[in-house]
Amino acid sequence: MKEVMAVIRMNKINDTKRALNEAGISSFTATGRVQGRGKGMVDFNILHGAEEGAPEAIAQLGEGPRLVPKRLITIVVSDDWVEKTVETIIMTNRTGSSGDGKIFVLPVLEATRVRTGETAEGPCGGDVLDSSGGLK
Amino acid sequence: MSKLLVRSIVRPEKADEVMKSLLEAGYPAVTKVPVFGRGKQRGLKVGEVTYDELPKEMLMTVIPEAEKDFVVKTVLSAAKTSEAGNYGDGKIFISPVEDVYTISSGVKEA
Repeated sequence: MKEVMAVIRMNKINDTKRALNEAGISSFTATGRVQGRGKGMVDFNILHGAEEGAPEAIAQLGEGPRLVPKRLITIVVSDDWVEKTVETIIMTNRTGSSGDGKIFVLPVLEATRVRTGETAEGPCGGDVLDSSGGLK
Repeated sequence: MSKLLVRSIVRPEKADEVMKSLLEAGYPAVTKVPVFGRGKQRGLKVGEVTYDELPKEMLMTVIPEAEKDFVVKTVLSAAKTSEAGNYGDGKIFISPVEDVYTISSGVKEA
């Protein structure tokens, strides 16, 4: 089992939700607004404003990177579904400019369904994760 | 080189300081998540009032494995409220990351 953790743009959450559902990955956890910064040390709005000579934009230059609001989604899937999940997220969220986000794939040792208490270990997640990668 | 996910749960008022020292140490990429939780002390008692869950900020950053000790030291020294530290200063959890993808380019990072 793997946990796919993705940080994506705020306005892409609905598209991602739909695309994942169409790909057969229905189980999904989204965390509300998170704030983050990446490698990009430049806020493009401020840079653009400064180029046009807006004094308030120039005043903000050089203050260090700003935190950008993002959505954080986590999806637990069996090993053979990781590739498809990652691909789906990339296809839906890719605009080609920086700030599109990152995807991290983390190992999961064990999953338990709360309703029945059944526990699954190993790569496929057994009964707890069904073949579609989603919770039954 | 394999990567690690460092999740630091720190006091909300210390989050900016930790973010700043991470930036200065060369780790600009951080995600900040507001969370609520309790620790070993089971919340906080102030007189008659008990707080079961306390607000914290979770800072998530992914780093190369070799730089773990340095990052942990950076977070620790910024998040502590005093030299000896206090209850409620937080925890740091480290877990392995298998793959990292950049969405804008679609590239899997080494």
